[in-house]
Amino acid sequence: MRVALYVTCLVDLMRPSVGFAALRLLEAAGCDVVVPPDQTCCGQPAWSSGYRAQAAGLARKAIAELEGYDYVVIPSGSCTDQLRHVYPRLLADDPAWSARAQAVAERCHELTSFLADVVALPTPPGEFAGSVTYHDSCKGLRALGIKRQPRELLQRVRGLSLREMADCEECCGFGGAFAVEFADVSTRIVDRKCETIAAAGADAVVGGDLGCLLNIEGRLRRRGDETTRVLHVAEVLAGGEGN
Amino acid sequence: MAASGQSQAMFFRARAGEKVRDEVLQRALQKARPLFVGKRAKGMASLVEDGLDFDALRSTGKNARNRILADLDVWLDIFETRATANGAEVLWARDGAEVSRLVVDIARRHGVTKATKSKSMLSEEADLNAALSAAGVQPVETDLGEYIVQLAGEPPSHIIAPAVHKTIGEVEALFAKAHDRPAQARTSADIPAMAAEARGVLRQHFLSAEMGISGANFLIAETGSAALVTNEGNGRMVTTLPRIHVVITGIEKLLPTLEDFASLMRLLPRSATGQSISNYVSLLTGTRHQGDGEGPEKTIFILVDNGRADLLGSPYEAMLRCIRCGACMNHCPVYFSLGGHAYGWVYPGPMGSVLTPLLTGIDQAIDLPRATTGCGHCADVCPVGIPLPGLMHQLRETQAETGLRPRSEARAMRLWAWLARRPRLYRWLTRCATRYLDWLSDGQGRIRLFGLAPAWTAGRDLPVSSGQTFHELYKARKRA
Repeated sequence: MRVALYVTCLVDLMRPSVGFAALRLLEAAGCDVVVPPDQTCCGQPAWSSGYRAQAAGLARKAIAELEGYDYVVIPSGSCTDQLRHVYPRLLADDPAWSARAQAVAERCHELTSFLADVVALPTPPGEFAGSVTYHDSCKGLRALGIKRQPRELLQRVRGLSLREMADCEECCGFGGAFAVEFADVSTRIVDRKCETIAAAGADAVVGGDLGCLLNIEGRLRRRGDETTRVLHVAEVLAGGEGN
Repeated sequence: MAASGQSQAMFFRARAGEKVRDEVLQRALQKARPLFVGKRAKGMASLVEDGLDFDALRSTGKNARNRILADLDVWLDIFETRATANGAEVLWARDGAEVSRLVVDIARRHGVTKATKSKSMLSEEADLNAALSAAGVQPVETDLGEYIVQLAGEPPSHIIAPAVHKTIGEVEALFAKAHDRPAQARTSADIPAMAAEARGVLRQHFLSAEMGISGANFLIAETGSAALVTNEGNGRMVTTLPRIHVVITGIEKLLPTLEDFASLMRLLPRSATGQSISNYVSLLTGTRHQGDGEGPEKTIFILVDNGRADLLGSPYEAMLRCIRCGACMNHCPVYFSLGGHAYGWVYPGPMGSVLTPLLTGIDQAIDLPRATTGCGHCADVCPVGIPLPGLMHQLRETQAETGLRPRSEARAMRLWAWLARRPRLYRWLTRCATRYLDWLSDGQGRIRLFGLAPAWTAGRDLPVSSGQTFHELYKARKRA
């Protein structure tokens, strides 16, 4: 099974360890993993801000790179939503691209749903001595219906106990450009998330989207919480440190 | 565009900045949020208990609303015919100014000096209270929340809970002043007593007003009726005690039949307050007939366009399905960080972020469709399936396509997209960027002040990694 790993621009730039963790997990599941070398960004920032032509340009580029694999796997709910739901709409009126967009969209999976539902990875290789609380990122939850999958996988990690926080489905306030354009509003929202995380009292908060995690970690640290670890679900499932 | 004169939506960003720092407001909002969310959750649970399915009901409700929008002119005709046959009068208003003119005219013709009002958001679109006061007619808001904000000299901050932004202490101060009594320390246990106090004051107004003004949750085409869904009973006083009853509502508020009304009533109270039905549901049809113990001598409908007809057949038509339940704002992280006043016009929250630009001008409310995290909770809870995030997105595209965005942003976006289509150049730049981020970091993997995006680090650190990109590390590893 040939699987293309689309690491996302944020992982590339801000936390490469998530990409390597995803790679290890897919290999552990027996996939023949390829990292298409020319991948950059799925174009979501342009799409969200209303720059349709720029978003379409990047969509065509990504589609051309990701065609021909059995699956495309992405360690992010929001980028998966972009490829799976936005690309077909964005290119619906482009006769040369609409079928190609649809074909790639159908093969696209967010990492935890791929591991839980498509390849049914029995035991994740990671180990984690402690408790984690899971933050449901909005796009994964509401656009892709990801809720059970990361929890199922996390519960099978040796040593790990799952401790749900209140309002785990509430937005963390990231929202891409929103976090910069309306930074003070975003801070208010993430403050509530930080409070529910603190109340859960877990050793780590875990999520499936790096943008949300950077937002949450950044605010936790600024509020003086130096101990709660903030980890991508791939990092916990794959175990090992760093790269 | 209609009614843009009174909109303050262009000041959203500045107002939002004030509201997030207003600790009294924040306390009020944090108290209200779980109540709203919990009530709707209970309402949804009661659907299941009654053997009903939200998705199925939602599609029924959506279809009923779409049926109206597909032939709005025909349904309006039917409504006018039926309402007139029942003895009511139907007037049409192009915009808010015309609403005010019509109501003031009616008041003058009938020697009205006081008008009691049941909640009507359309009268807020028209800024009707100001027009009535200027014409020497005293408008008295009788919904408890509306009464409170009227005392405060403020507009409502929520479409079903107008005073949700007020703490009990603030309400007590307003009551003490308006009712001319010393202020007392109050807790939530005093709420019934405070409501009774307001009721006592309002009773005098109910009995003395010559005109009652209400909105309508729906208009029923087949019967020519106005449907009113309320909890406090003030709606019945306003619509039956005065000689004249004026119903002001948008042209899109129609439903074809009473059966459609029954379907929508399964959705509206549950979505709004979690109730399986509201305390009062009134169907007001025509005027007082001979032998009737109560009811107005004259019923006048004012049906208002104010920009709505332009949305028919546009990419935004779905917005006209809205039944004003408030569920979208009740589940919005942005609304509950700001309250409604930051939005600057009549409608706050996600539905306001779509409706305000559409009704007052896209260029008059640039920030609203951008002030969203894209979390999608609003669309999930909308009882008539309005794709609110999609409509906000459409507005952002229109902004970008019609030159309403700063040129610097458009240039930066084009440059970034150009770079992202050139992998070799992009790799080199991202390698430089990671080195730069690493150099900025404090040795503990974080940046405390980031000059390129200072807004990010105003409230947060920026966690950074190893100083190398994934693709760079991956390439090195494959070579090894």
